[in-house]
Amino acid sequence: MIARCLAGTVLGFPLSGLLLALCLFWLPGHGQDWLIPVLLLFFPLWVGVMAGSYMFRSGARAWLALGAANGAVFAALWLSRHLAGG
Amino acid sequence: MKSSTIRTFQTVHTWAGLLAGFALFVAFYAGALTVFHHDIAQWQSPPWRSEPARDVSVQTMIDRLLAAHPKAAKDFGIVLAPPGTAQGPYAYWNDGEEHFATADRLDRPTGDEGATRGNLADFVYALHDSLGIPVVGLYLMGIVSVIYGLALISGLLIHLPQLLGDLFALRPGRNLKRLWQDAHNAIGVLSLPFHIIFAVTGALMCLFVPLFAALNLMAFDGKLGDAFAKAISTAPAVQAAGRAAPMLSAEALIERARASALSTGVSAFEPDYVHYDNYGDANALVQVRGVSQRTLGTYGTIALNGATGEVLEQHVGKTQSANALTNSSMYALHFGNFGGRAVQWLYFLLGLAGAFLFYSGNLLWIESRRKRRHSEQPRKTLVMARASLGVCLGSCLGIAAAFAATMIAQRLAIDPAVPQQAACYGVVALAVAYACLRPVARAAVELLAVTAVAHVAVALADLLRNASAWIQPWTPQSLAVLGVDLTGIALGVGFAWLARASWKRALRGDANSVWADASARDGIRVEA
Repeated sequence: MIARCLAGTVLGFPLSGLLLALCLFWLPGHGQDWLIPVLLLFFPLWVGVMAGSYMFRSGARAWLALGAANGAVFAALWLSRHLAGG
Repeated sequence: MKSSTIRTFQTVHTWAGLLAGFALFVAFYAGALTVFHHDIAQWQSPPWRSEPARDVSVQTMIDRLLAAHPKAAKDFGIVLAPPGTAQGPYAYWNDGEEHFATADRLDRPTGDEGATRGNLADFVYALHDSLGIPVVGLYLMGIVSVIYGLALISGLLIHLPQLLGDLFALRPGRNLKRLWQDAHNAIGVLSLPFHIIFAVTGALMCLFVPLFAALNLMAFDGKLGDAFAKAISTAPAVQAAGRAAPMLSAEALIERARASALSTGVSAFEPDYVHYDNYGDANALVQVRGVSQRTLGTYGTIALNGATGEVLEQHVGKTQSANALTNSSMYALHFGNFGGRAVQWLYFLLGLAGAFLFYSGNLLWIESRRKRRHSEQPRKTLVMARASLGVCLGSCLGIAAAFAATMIAQRLAIDPAVPQQAACYGVVALAVAYACLRPVARAAVELLAVTAVAHVAVALADLLRNASAWIQPWTPQSLAVLGVDLTGIALGVGFAWLARASWKRALRGDANSVWADASARDGIRVEA
């Protein structure tokens, strides 16, 4: 239980931030006009990931899956910036 | 949903409640009072007891500030006093470091908003947003808000299977636990939108600085700062012209800002903050922030040239961008200042209901660990009962004590800042000690009774000291003071009712409980 809680709290934080960054990147004008409404979603997203991580069967799975999700979103963000010539 | 999943979320909900419940109780009780921030400010310094040293105009304040600190001219702001109060404005300036001071203390500014210490309304606000602890308290309450969000989600998930069937069920009867559970669920679900607002905005307001730094580093390549500054900017970038020019008076600029704001179609514009860049320069930039009604973006700003009074940009009502509207409505939704008195009362009641939600959570925790067949109860439920009484009732009593201390300090003509804090924290500590030493059932009744008496006594004393004001024609200011006193009496009556209910429960309720009073029951014949 505590392992899943930690996984959701620790890995949910960067995951939420990276998801918002990715979302902003793909909005018109890199989301400048929507920055604050999108940032407002940070805490609901983070807490959502925390609550969701209790659905994993074990702590190890939670760490693995959330770690992989972080890696995937980070890669997507990096690729997006790279391909867009940023 | 699988029953194992529900059990998991029950554990999450319990732990979230244990970790955050007490702080949330204080935040909601003090927050409910903070809805009437301006009225409490009036209560402390109504115009008929005004202190002339503090009652200065905005322009006088600026002149004194710049005479004492010429360097402040580059970047300073004046926080206006709530309209109609005798409290003066206070200044903020940044000459490399941040300073705050009221008009009579410009020679000894403080590094935090402590310039406003001694204002009862601000003290109650500080209890609400940080338990009154500078910096650390704010971050603590931010973490509490995050846990609160988790408690909301887990609570909703546990309750989801019976949500629709039980939503309006309130089953009084022999099963008291079910009644408490029904009340807890009904309040939790019906005021869920209100609670979601506070979980999100509370976390953002408290944790904004560290969150911003982390996001900037982690996900935005260090570019978040510029993007954010652009998103919330309310004025054009203006360079100083380098030549001096006479400034229009602050009052004249505020009037122009008001006229300009009203021309956008909002129905009001109540200025609460004025900011200057490069005062005395031909390109001086003035930003007047105010509260409007009949718009999503309650907080609006008008940017003007300080020398000519020309309006440079309008960020009010419909003229605001999606960013500004979100930013502004987030504050409005948190502070409940978007719909006049009706919304204020709604927020007050929902705030009290929120405090009840956390208190009833603790009661349910105790109730579900109760030994039904033994008079001896588990130690942890006794500890929880004592902590709930001491901390929760102690804070209600502590806030009443801060009101009383303010009155006494004014009577003795001393600075109320220290007496307020000493009275509030001292009373909370005493209440906790008392709840630990007395039998639980007695402590509950007595603390509630003392809290009831304190509320009524403070209100009556204030009604008496302002006796001369009640025989004059009533003004919005005197009505505000009267409103605070009558609300105090109403709260006192509420606490008295709770004291009576606890007393009856101690005597006649189920004997196998921490809330039963064994010694009093021995003295009288008790029916089952």
